[in-house]
Amino acid sequence: MMHLLAQTDSFGSVELGHYLMTSSVLFVIGLIGFLTRRNMIVMFLCTELMFQAAAIAMIAFSRFHHDLSGQVFVIFILTIAAAEAALALSLVVLLYRRKETLSAEAWSELRET
Amino acid sequence: MMAMLDPIFATILLATHGTSGGAFPIAHAMDNLGWAGLILWLPLISMLLCGVCAAMKVRSKAPAIITVILLALSFLVTFALFFNYESPVTIHLFAWFDIQWEGGGFVAPFSLYVDQLTLLWMLFVTGLGTLIALYASEYMEPDLGGGYARFFAGVSVFLFAMSSLVMGDNLVMLYLGWEGVGFASYWLIGYYYQKPSAVAAAKKAFIVNRIGDLGLALGLYLIYHYFGSIQFTEIFASIQHGVDPATAQKGGWTLAAIPFLLMLGAFGKSAQFPLFVWLPDAMEGPTPVSALIHAATMVTAGVYLLCRMAPLMSGLSCSALGIEEWPLFFGWTMPAIDALAMVAWVGGLTALLAATIGMAQYDIKRIMAYSTVSQLGYMFVGVGVLTTYGAAYHVFTHAFFKAVLFLTCGAIMHGFAGQLDLRKLSGLRHMKGWKVVSYTMLYGCLCLIGFPIISSGFYSKDLIMAQAFITQGPGFTALGVIMVITALLTAYYTFRVWFRVCAGEPHYEMGDEHHAPGDDHGGSDHDHHEPHPPGITINFVLIVISIGAVMTIFLGSWVKDMVNGSSAMMVDHHDDLADYWHKWMPYIASAAGLLGGGIAWWFHLANRKAADTVRSTLLSNPMIRWLPTAMENKWYVDEIYHALIRAPLWAGGHLLYLFDKYIVDFAFVDGIAKLPRLMAKAFQPLQNGVLQSYAVHMAGGVALVTVLIIGHAAFLHYWNLIVTFIVNIWASMFGGAA
Amino acid sequence: MDPKLFLTASVICIFASVAMWMLVKANTRAAKGIAAIVGIAAFLGLLSNVGMSQIESTQKPEVFFYLFSLIAIACSVMMITSAKPVYSALYFVMVVLSSASLFLLLQAEFMAFALIIVYAGAILITYMFVLMLAQQASDPEMEQEQAEYDVNPREPAAACIVGFVMLTLLSSMIFQSMSDMPTPPSASDSRIAAWQTFDSMLGSKQEIAFVQRVIPAENAGWNGVHDDDGNLIRFEGDEAYIQIAQGEETLRVVLEDRFAPSNVELVGFDLIAKFPVSLELAGVILLMAMFGAVILARRQIELSEDEVREAAGMARISFEALEPDSNGGESP
Repeated sequence: MMHLLAQTDSFGSVELGHYLMTSSVLFVIGLIGFLTRRNMIVMFLCTELMFQAAAIAMIAFSRFHHDLSGQVFVIFILTIAAAEAALALSLVVLLYRRKETLSAEAWSELRET
Repeated sequence: MMAMLDPIFATILLATHGTSGGAFPIAHAMDNLGWAGLILWLPLISMLLCGVCAAMKVRSKAPAIITVILLALSFLVTFALFFNYESPVTIHLFAWFDIQWEGGGFVAPFSLYVDQLTLLWMLFVTGLGTLIALYASEYMEPDLGGGYARFFAGVSVFLFAMSSLVMGDNLVMLYLGWEGVGFASYWLIGYYYQKPSAVAAAKKAFIVNRIGDLGLALGLYLIYHYFGSIQFTEIFASIQHGVDPATAQKGGWTLAAIPFLLMLGAFGKSAQFPLFVWLPDAMEGPTPVSALIHAATMVTAGVYLLCRMAPLMSGLSCSALGIEEWPLFFGWTMPAIDALAMVAWVGGLTALLAATIGMAQYDIKRIMAYSTVSQLGYMFVGVGVLTTYGAAYHVFTHAFFKAVLFLTCGAIMHGFAGQLDLRKLSGLRHMKGWKVVSYTMLYGCLCLIGFPIISSGFYSKDLIMAQAFITQGPGFTALGVIMVITALLTAYYTFRVWFRVCAGEPHYEMGDEHHAPGDDHGGSDHDHHEPHPPGITINFVLIVISIGAVMTIFLGSWVKDMVNGSSAMMVDHHDDLADYWHKWMPYIASAAGLLGGGIAWWFHLANRKAADTVRSTLLSNPMIRWLPTAMENKWYVDEIYHALIRAPLWAGGHLLYLFDKYIVDFAFVDGIAKLPRLMAKAFQPLQNGVLQSYAVHMAGGVALVTVLIIGHAAFLHYWNLIVTFIVNIWASMFGGAA
Repeated sequence: MDPKLFLTASVICIFASVAMWMLVKANTRAAKGIAAIVGIAAFLGLLSNVGMSQIESTQKPEVFFYLFSLIAIACSVMMITSAKPVYSALYFVMVVLSSASLFLLLQAEFMAFALIIVYAGAILITYMFVLMLAQQASDPEMEQEQAEYDVNPREPAAACIVGFVMLTLLSSMIFQSMSDMPTPPSASDSRIAAWQTFDSMLGSKQEIAFVQRVIPAENAGWNGVHDDDGNLIRFEGDEAYIQIAQGEETLRVVLEDRFAPSNVELVGFDLIAKFPVSLELAGVILLMAMFGAVILARRQIELSEDEVREAAGMARISFEALEPDSNGGESP
C-alpha cells in the first residue's frame, strides 16, 4: 500500500490548489481554535495545527517544483514546533503551579481596568 | 520811536516773500574738518562716562559735571566750526553703509553735512543743552546717587542723537538721530519709572511717534527709490533744477507722496494735529527734560526736517508735478493740495486748538506744553507759507524763551513740592528768593505773546503771520486771521499763568508729591511745608538763557542769512502787498497780544473773582456750556483717539485673544491633545487583558492588512464579474426591446 | 483502484474501526477481549493485503487525497470542539496521521514518517503528560466535571469572522491563481528531477549497478563536448544516461530507474549540502529549548532574606533591633 502511494505517477486531477486548499482550511481551523479555546494547552495544540497546515503547503510546493528545500523546511518547522512545545509546556506548568488553573484568562493583570 | 526801530524793522521788511526753487548752494566734501565729529562724540563719551558712574554707584554730582563739561566742549566745537565755516561742506567721518551692486548701490557714510541751517540748529541745541544740563545739576539733586547718572546719560544720548539728526549727511543718519531722540525722549519721560503715569506717558510718546516715524521711513524709502541715493548732496543735485520729467512720469502719485510722508514724520515728532497728544503727557518727565527736549530742541526736529527737505517739499509738490486732482471713492475727485499748504493749515489749526486747550488748563506746566504745541503750529505755518526763514527764526527765539518758561515752571515745581496748579499759587514775586524766577518768567511770557519791541517773539511771530497774508495759497488769508486770533488767545493764557502765579497777594499751597517719587532721599529730611527758593545755579541759568532770549532779537538778519545760505532758502520777492503786511502786521499782532494780556490782567489779577463768575456763567448757560467743557477736556482728542483707534484695536485684540483661547488653544492645541485620550477611551474596552481578545485583534489586523494588499485586486476581479453579469442580464431582458 | 481490493480493505477497516470503538467504549472485559481479537484480525488482514496489491496501471490518488484531507479536517474540527483537552490531543494525533498520509501522496515519504514519529510520538506525548499533570482533580467528585473554561468557548463569533476573512482571502487567492499553478509533473519529470538532484549532490559518483544497458551514442557531439569519465548524467525522453568514451566511439550508458535516489536520500543530501548552517542552528535551538524547559519547569523554592544571608555566610538581620522606638520617633 505504501509503495503504491509513493510511486504514484501524477496528481491525476488533484492539483496543487487542492492541497493548498486543505492547508488553508486546516490553518484557519487552527486559528479559530486558538482564538476560541481558553485552555492554554489546547491553544498550543492549535498552534501546532497551524504548523501542520504550513507543513502541508510546504510539501505540496516542494512536490510541484521538484525542489526538496520545501521538505527540508518542514524539518525545521518540526524542530521549531518541538522547541516551542517544550518551552510552552514548561511555561504552562509554571503558570499552572501559580494559579492552579489552565485558563488563559487567569492571567490578565496587565489589562486596562 | 519808530525811527529807533527802523533798523530792526528793516530786517523784517527785507525778509522773505519766499518762493521755492532756484539755485541754492550744495555742499562739497571737505577733508580737514574731521574734528567736527567731536560734536557727536563728546555727548557719546559723556553718556558712557555717566554709565560708568551709574555702574560705580557714584553719589556725587560727578555725572552732571562730566555732562556739562563735555556738552560745553561740544558747544565750543560747534562754535569753532561756525567760525571756520565758509561754504556748505560734507565732513566724512567713517564709512557706514557702503553696499554696491550692479547698476546701483546704497551708500550712507557716517558724515556730517554742514551748512548754515545745520549750524543754526546746532548752536542752540548744544548751547541750550549745556545750560539746561547745568540747571538740571541742581534740579535733580534729590536724585543724587539714584537716577542722577541715568538722567544725565539720557541727556547725553539725546544730544548725540540730535546732533546726528541735524548734522547727518544722509537720510539714514537723520533717521538714526530721529529714532535716537525718540528713544531719549522715551528714556527721560519715563525717568520716574515707578510712577505709572510717567510710564504711560513715555509709552504714549513712543507709540504716537511710531506713526510719524512710519511716514518718515516710507518717505525715506521712496526718496531712495526715485533718486537712487539718500545723501543730501545727491538728492539736492537731482532736485535743484526741478524734477526730471522721466522720474515724474515713472513716479506718479508715489513720487507726490514723498512730501506728505515727510510731513507725517514731522507732525509726529513736532506734535502737530492729530499726533500732538503725546506732548502734554510728556510733561511727566523731569522739567529740564521738558525744557530741553519737549520745548526747545527735539520737537523742532520736524521743522528742521521740512526746512532741510524744503527743495523736495516744494519740488515734489502736486502743482510742481502737475497733479491737479486726487481721486476719491466712487470716481469722485478733489482738488489736489500741496503738501506745504497742508502743512500750513494743519499747523494753523493745531496752533488754535492747542491755544484753546491751554486757556482752560490749570497745570502751568501743561499750559506751557500746549503753548509749545501752539508755537510749533506757528512754525509749521511759517514753513507752509514759504518762509523758512520765519519758521527757523521762530524756532530759534522760541527755543530760548520757552526754555526760560519751562525752567521757571521747573523751579516753581521744585520749590513747592510739585505744586503746579495756578489756583494754588499766587504772588511769587513778592516772596523772598523768587524774584529772578518771577521776572525771567515775565520776560518769557512777554516773548511768547510777542510784546512789542523788547521781546524776541514779536519779530519772529510777526514774520510768519505777515507771510500768511502775503503768500498766495488756499485760504492763507483766513489762516492769517486764525494766527492773529491765536496770538490773542496765547497772550491771554500766558499772562493768566503769570498774573495768577507771580502777581497778586502772596499765597501758596504746597504740593503733595515728593519731588522724585521712588527716591527716599528728601522724604524725611526735607521740609515739605516751606517752599525753598531756587539756588544760584538755577538762577544763573535762568538769567543766562533770558539774556540769550534777548540776544535773539538782534540775530534776525543773521538767521536770515543763515537760512538763505542753505538749501532751505526761499527766493524773496517784493511787492506792494508784502510791504503793506510787513508794515502793519507788527501793529496788529501787538494789539492782539496787548488785548489778550489786558483781559488776563482783568480776570486774573485785578478781579480774580470775575474769572470764576464768568466761568460759572458760561457753564450755567446750556447753549455755550460745551465750549469751556470741551476746552478743559482738551477737545476730547484723547477720547476720540480712544474711540477711533484704541477701542477698535482693543476689540480686535480681544477678539483675537478669544480666537486664540477658544479656537487655537481649546480646539486645536488642547483638542489635539484630548483627541488621543477620547480615542483611548473609545478603545479602552479592547484592552481587557484576555489573551484571546488580543489574539483576535491581532489576527483581525493581519486579515485586514491582507485584505488591503490582496483584496484590492480580488475586489476588482469580482466587481468585473458582477458588472458583466448584470450587464448580460440587462441585455437579455431589454435587448430585444431596444 | 481495483474495486475488489477496495472492498476488501474497506471491510477490514470497518472491522478495525469497530474494534477501536469497542476498545474505547466497552465496559466489560468480554467485550474488550472480543474487540481486541477483532482488531488484531483486521490488522493481520490489512498486512496480508499489502503484498497482494500490485501496481498494474497508473493509479488515481484522488480518493486518497479526499479521504485523508477529509479526515484531517474532520479531526481538526473535532479537536477544537472537544470539551476534553485529552480528546483534543488525540484528535490532533489523527490530524497528524492523515496529513502524514497526504505527505505520502506528495512523495515525501521521509517527512511523512518523521512527522508521525516526532509529532505523534514525541510532542503529543509531552502534551498528554502536561495535560495529565494539570488535570488532576483535587476532589474526586470533581473528576467528571469539565472545567468551565473548557466548555465555554471565548469569542467564537469574532474568531469565526476572522477565520472567515482569512479563509476567504486564501481561497480566493488560490482560485485566482489556479491558472498560474504549475502543471502537474509527470512521472518522468519527477524521476529526472530526482536524478538531477542526485547528480548535483554527488558529482556523479555512480556505480556500475546503476547501469541498465549500454548503447552506442548516436550524436556524439551533443552539447559540443563529452566527458570521458561519465560524470554527467544526461537525459533523453524518460531515460537517464551517461556518456563514456570507448576507443573512438562514445557509448551511452543508460541508468536503471530503480537505482534512482530515494526521497530519504535526496532530503538528506539537500539538508546537509544546502542548509548545513540552518541544521546546526536548529540543533542549537533545540538545545536552548531544552535548557529553557528545564529551568522554567523546575520547582522554585522561595528563600527568605535570612536564609539567603545564611547561605552566603552572613549574619541574620534582627528586624526587632532595627525597628525604631515609636515614642522616641515621634518626640521632636
